[in-house]
Amino acid sequence: MEKILLLLGVDAEGKLSKAGLEAVEQARRLACSLPGASWAVGLVGRDAQDAARQVANCGAGKFLAVTGDAFASPRYASDAAAAEALARRSEATLILAPADSRWMRALPGAAHRLGAAVDTHIAAVEVADGAVQVRRWYYRQRIEAQQTRRSRPWVLLMDAGNIEPWAGEAGETALEALPAEVAESWDRTKVVGVEAPETDEQTIRPDAGLLFVAGAGWTKKQPDGLSHLEEAAELILDFVRKTKCSLGSSKSLVELSSEGQAVLPFLTHLHQVGQTGSTPRHPKGLATCCHGEEPHVVGWRFIKERRAVNLDPNCGWAQGKADVLYVADAFAVMREVNRLLG
Amino acid sequence: MPEPDRQQMDVDIACVGFGPAAGGFLITLARRLADRDGPALASRMAPGMPLQVVCYERADDMGFGVSGVATRARAIRESFPGLDVSEIPLAAEISEERILYLLDPYGASRRPLLMRFADRLIRAFPRLFRCDRDAIELPFTPEFLHKAGGLVLSIGQFNSWVGQQVMMTGAAQIWPGSPVAEPLIEEGRVAGVRLIDQGVDRKGNPAGGYLPGMDIRSALTVIGDGPAGPVGRKLDEVFGMPEGHRRDEWAVGMKFVVQLPEGVDLKPGTVFHTIGYPEPEIFGFFYVHPGRLASVGIFVPSWFENPARTAYRYLQHYIQHPYLWRYLKGGTLRSWGAKSIQESGRRGEPYLAGDGYARIGEGSGSTNVLTGSGVDEAWATGVLLAEAVVDLLEKGEPFTRENLERAYVGRRRRSWLEQESRVAEKARDGFHRGVIAGFIGMGLTGLSGGRLAVPGRPKPPRKRFPRVEEFFADRIPRGEIEKIRQECAAQAKPLHDALMERCGWPKIEYDGKLLVSHQDALLMGGKVQAPAGVADHVVFLYPKLCESCGTRICVEMCSGEAIHPGEDGVPAFDREKCVHCGACFWNCPEENIRFEAGPGGLHSAEN
Amino acid sequence: MSNGYHIVVCAGIVPDPLQTLEPVTGPQGPALRNEMMLPAVLDPWAAHALYEAAHLARNAPGSKVWLVSLSPKAKLQQVMMTIAQKVPFELVALDGPASGFTDAGETAVALARAIQAIPGLDRSRLLVFGGWESASRGAGATLQMVGEILGITDQFQGVDALEIQSDGSFRILERIEGGVHQVSACAGPPAVLGWATGTLPEPPNQPQIGMQNMRAIMPALQGAQPAGLAGGKIEFLEVRIPSVRRETQVIKDLSPEEIAKEIVEWIKE
Ligand SMILES: Cc1cc2nc3c(=O)[nH]c(=O)nc-3n(C[C@H](O)[C@H](O)[C@H](O)COP(=O)(O)OP(=O)(O)OC[C@H]3O[C@@H](n4cnc5c(N)ncnc54)[C@H](O)[C@@H]3O)c2cc1C
Ligand SMILES: Cc1cc2nc3c(=O)[nH]c(=O)nc-3n(C[C@H](O)[C@H](O)[C@H](O)COP(=O)(O)OP(=O)(O)OC[C@H]3O[C@@H](n4cnc5c(N)ncnc54)[C@H](O)[C@@H]3O)c2cc1C
Ligand code: SF4
Ligand code: SF4
Repeated sequence: MEKILLLLGVDAEGKLSKAGLEAVEQARRLACSLPGASWAVGLVGRDAQDAARQVANCGAGKFLAVTGDAFASPRYASDAAAAEALARRSEATLILAPADSRWMRALPGAAHRLGAAVDTHIAAVEVADGAVQVRRWYYRQRIEAQQTRRSRPWVLLMDAGNIEPWAGEAGETALEALPAEVAESWDRTKVVGVEAPETDEQTIRPDAGLLFVAGAGWTKKQPDGLSHLEEAAELILDFVRKTKCSLGSSKSLVELSSEGQAVLPFLTHLHQVGQTGSTPRHPKGLATCCHGEEPHVVGWRFIKERRAVNLDPNCGWAQGKADVLYVADAFAVMREVNRLLG
Repeated sequence: MPEPDRQQMDVDIACVGFGPAAGGFLITLARRLADRDGPALASRMAPGMPLQVVCYERADDMGFGVSGVATRARAIRESFPGLDVSEIPLAAEISEERILYLLDPYGASRRPLLMRFADRLIRAFPRLFRCDRDAIELPFTPEFLHKAGGLVLSIGQFNSWVGQQVMMTGAAQIWPGSPVAEPLIEEGRVAGVRLIDQGVDRKGNPAGGYLPGMDIRSALTVIGDGPAGPVGRKLDEVFGMPEGHRRDEWAVGMKFVVQLPEGVDLKPGTVFHTIGYPEPEIFGFFYVHPGRLASVGIFVPSWFENPARTAYRYLQHYIQHPYLWRYLKGGTLRSWGAKSIQESGRRGEPYLAGDGYARIGEGSGSTNVLTGSGVDEAWATGVLLAEAVVDLLEKGEPFTRENLERAYVGRRRRSWLEQESRVAEKARDGFHRGVIAGFIGMGLTGLSGGRLAVPGRPKPPRKRFPRVEEFFADRIPRGEIEKIRQECAAQAKPLHDALMERCGWPKIEYDGKLLVSHQDALLMGGKVQAPAGVADHVVFLYPKLCESCGTRICVEMCSGEAIHPGEDGVPAFDREKCVHCGACFWNCPEENIRFEAGPGGLHSAEN
Repeated sequence: MSNGYHIVVCAGIVPDPLQTLEPVTGPQGPALRNEMMLPAVLDPWAAHALYEAAHLARNAPGSKVWLVSLSPKAKLQQVMMTIAQKVPFELVALDGPASGFTDAGETAVALARAIQAIPGLDRSRLLVFGGWESASRGAGATLQMVGEILGITDQFQGVDALEIQSDGSFRILERIEGGVHQVSACAGPPAVLGWATGTLPEPPNQPQIGMQNMRAIMPALQGAQPAGLAGGKIEFLEVRIPSVRRETQVIKDLSPEEIAKEIVEWIKE
């Protein structure tokens, strides 16, 4: 009989993230499909009362928490200790958590303390013949596997964007606070804050409906024999502002920008999509001036509808990588798009 | 620019390029050094250390070369007695050999009258000629064309395998990703090599992270940089060529490695050599590896006069020839690549040794143009040099011209290599008179053991290729060519596709798996990449000459579409697409392209 | 820091990024077709970690860098032939599969053991580096477990910058959600840092560094012990290439105005 523990981090405002609520839904479904399974929610943060209320009706049998100032910010030592305490208290056989930066940092180590196996970046959790199976990606989204483990405890970190977040009513629930033993050594690391890259504005928006990818073509010589960097920058930023989309880039363009050539100063390595970049999740994606090479396109695995604008009818996007390829000058197209967007 | 502050390193033996020639050299030398009884040979250049042997390879890995390869492998087998062929990935014993004459199913190729007549005869009596899918197996094939008892190899896998053996001896080091810029020549002596500058812009000017290329000073420099290597060519420039020797015959070889479709059960080691298609001057091959893989490719020689000489397009037609397509249809492209071949053979032999240096491999004229083989021959030259070097080292004799002449060149002159290359010397001359004369010449030379040949003189580059208007005069009216020119110019495209289609070549129907655009072949097949921070290795010397160039052959022939139409008629070079085949420099009629060493290019280890 | 850091970089090898990958099932479970034939590179994020390590070591005299790699010996040797020219390090090689299909936990145990066995390693100066995720398993879990086994609880993942403060403490930037960095202050070693891209470009090839490295690398490779992974921890039910091909509609003949209209409509759908 499985005992499930769902670990959730509570943010500074006492809230749960969208990824957290998705994990709630996942845990709920899993508990339902495992006969006799029980499940508990384990909250970690400065204060967990609001968060517990937020998910009071999710169906979990128990709400545990490790709270206090020491647990306010995501930090390996404190998070791992909290996770360990919650897992031991709940005697969990399956430990679920969203694969966010907090739990990705802390849980694998905690798993080791618990003698647990760990799988991360899980795209789906299913039950077949009474056994838990997970689906995850290998080789940077190029190979997909369905797998399971017999050993317990088993830690499962679930990627965001694969399931609807739990959206039940808030309510009241009893919260069992575990005594928190704060070790002095944790203070060796202090979270100081959050820093956005040195750009004028935030252009990475994980929750946006659209990913807009700019490729190195924006900086290349155009048919008139010149490159048009200023206009490129303007067109891109204008579009990003107007649509509130998330901005991504190819590696080539990021590297041009970071080689100190001040090509498109608002692009950093954080914008890079692909094999050595990110693999964002958005319902739609529009690629411009980007060739659509494999190392880039593997980063599009989770973009559902894909369109591209490229001068080259034989570019990678034409080879089954986009739904629609417009063979056209992206400058001309985006000028017009921005005009239409008003 | 003032001479920058260069670092310097001393070694005993520096080797340029890691192909089969260097493989044969290093494995022989390293084993001798490692297996020696008694104390290790001491380094003269780095006192207190054992002998320092290093090899610098331009490509980013040891296994990124391109070749056929069907080889008799006599020298290779001698180096590895009792060789278990299955140890080398993709290798197989040659199991079946066919030499095929291919008819042209579209009637688009330029066949001389006699050939057209023969074709008609074959088509009229297909049974008599045992014509199968537009091909006849030559009933009688001369012995010299056979490679019985030999091996089918992947040069990439073979080189990697050899490289591992060399490294494991611990007696030599191989460094890929390390292009050699030039030899260091001091008072008529080669004193080592200089590596390329890093941290420079495309023009070679210092940029972020500038690191001037290091000088590697060596007692002996071994040049095994292949057919088009810039270090060998520099030596030719400085030291000249022996009387009567020249290098004016070339070909570019281009190949696909194809995963054959399920159900095609050709035996590994099956080998087809073909003539007659896609153009009579273009030879082709089809070799079967284990694991249902095949290498299929063509050679486009310098004596083929078409100025719109696109190897890629021809290769696409070649694989679709009905005789081959029945095996290849439904297959998947696994790899692709191209490389030059020095077709002058022994006549292109430079001075094989001088003070402080020796030359091995194809760049030393080892490739046999009659049998179309170069791998085993290159390997043999390396082995011979290694034996000579060990001799000299043991006797404590310096690497002077005299000593190397005696120990290395002497060995080479006494070897089977020399005899066979003499036989082959004039084999291809006939092609300069026409295709038929060429074939007759090859046959004659082969059968007579080199005593007979059809004479002919290679044309100098400037005379080699007629203008497009002239070459296509009998096929396309002038006005139409002008129109094609304008249309292609507007789209910044080369002319070859339009010209070929106008001559009756069918359009290529891409299937996304094997029939793919040239760009896709670069990515899916060759996995071509180029690092930043180095100078462009292809340079147009005098842009003015390009402006008035009538052919723009460089654009038409470029194996990677790396050279494309640029501003004012001066072609532009895009390093990210270059496969370092080296064919641009010998194709340009004005000798207006400088081809140097750079890193990057193919990243496929299966060619 | 007067006597420098002891930096151990954990880095596997992965197929060169443009290679075609195809899974096959063998006796030991899933693997890549022709895995031993595919050209390999040092795992990209771990390579960044190595460059950062070398940079840090150069600026802190007395430091030393080890590269610990669990990979098939023959392939690792090939990768060393390029990577050894980049920066000075000492190789600790473990002969075993570089496959993504091995268990992160098992790999971590093998790596930690190898680290513990490094002669003269000073834990009080120890920094364990690596890539925050491999390009093979893509788990981002191995380093944390290595750290746990070594008893290090100052751990950071997705690191883009490590700045040494005047008092010897660290200022560390980690990638977190939303394209921003979490900033932490850490008292100093020992610590575990899983690197993202970092800030340094790939160093040029330096032949003399290569020669020096290689002297110790070849013996390390020759003496590489089997990593002893038992395998079988994960049961694979299915391993496949997702159907990536879409039916691409290539639209060539529309004017920019018409295309713009279509795009805007599509965005607003
Ligand atoms: C180890 C490694 C890891 C890598 N990881 C990544 C990764 O994570 N992410 C990534 O992106 N890449 C990655 N790459 C690089 C990848 O292989 C490509 O080099 C890169 O994606 C190319 O970027 P691009 O398409 O923007 O540029 P280019 O290839 O230069 O393409 C520019 C495109 O713009 C088009 N264009 C030009 N002008 C116009 C115009 N006016 N209108 C419309 N189109 C125009 C051109 O037709 C061309 O297709 C990696 C490579 C390696 C070796
Ligand atoms: C398509 C094709 C098919 C062929 N088929 C066959 C066949 O079936 N049988 C056969 O026997 N032969 C065949 N050959 C010929 C054979 O490949 C060559 O003769 C052989 O590879 C020559 O070996 P090599 O060592 O002299 O030179 P290469 O193999 O050319 O090796 C030279 C090496 O030097 C490197 N290099 C060059 N310049 C520098 C520099 N400046 N610094 C550092 N490194 C440098 C190159 O990258 C290369 O790796 C074929 C060739 C081609 C292209
Ligand atoms: S490089 Fe040679 S072939 Fe090319 S345009 Fe210039 S002169 Fe003509
Ligand atoms: S530019 Fe590169 S690919 Fe093109 S012909 Fe020259 S060497 Fe070959």
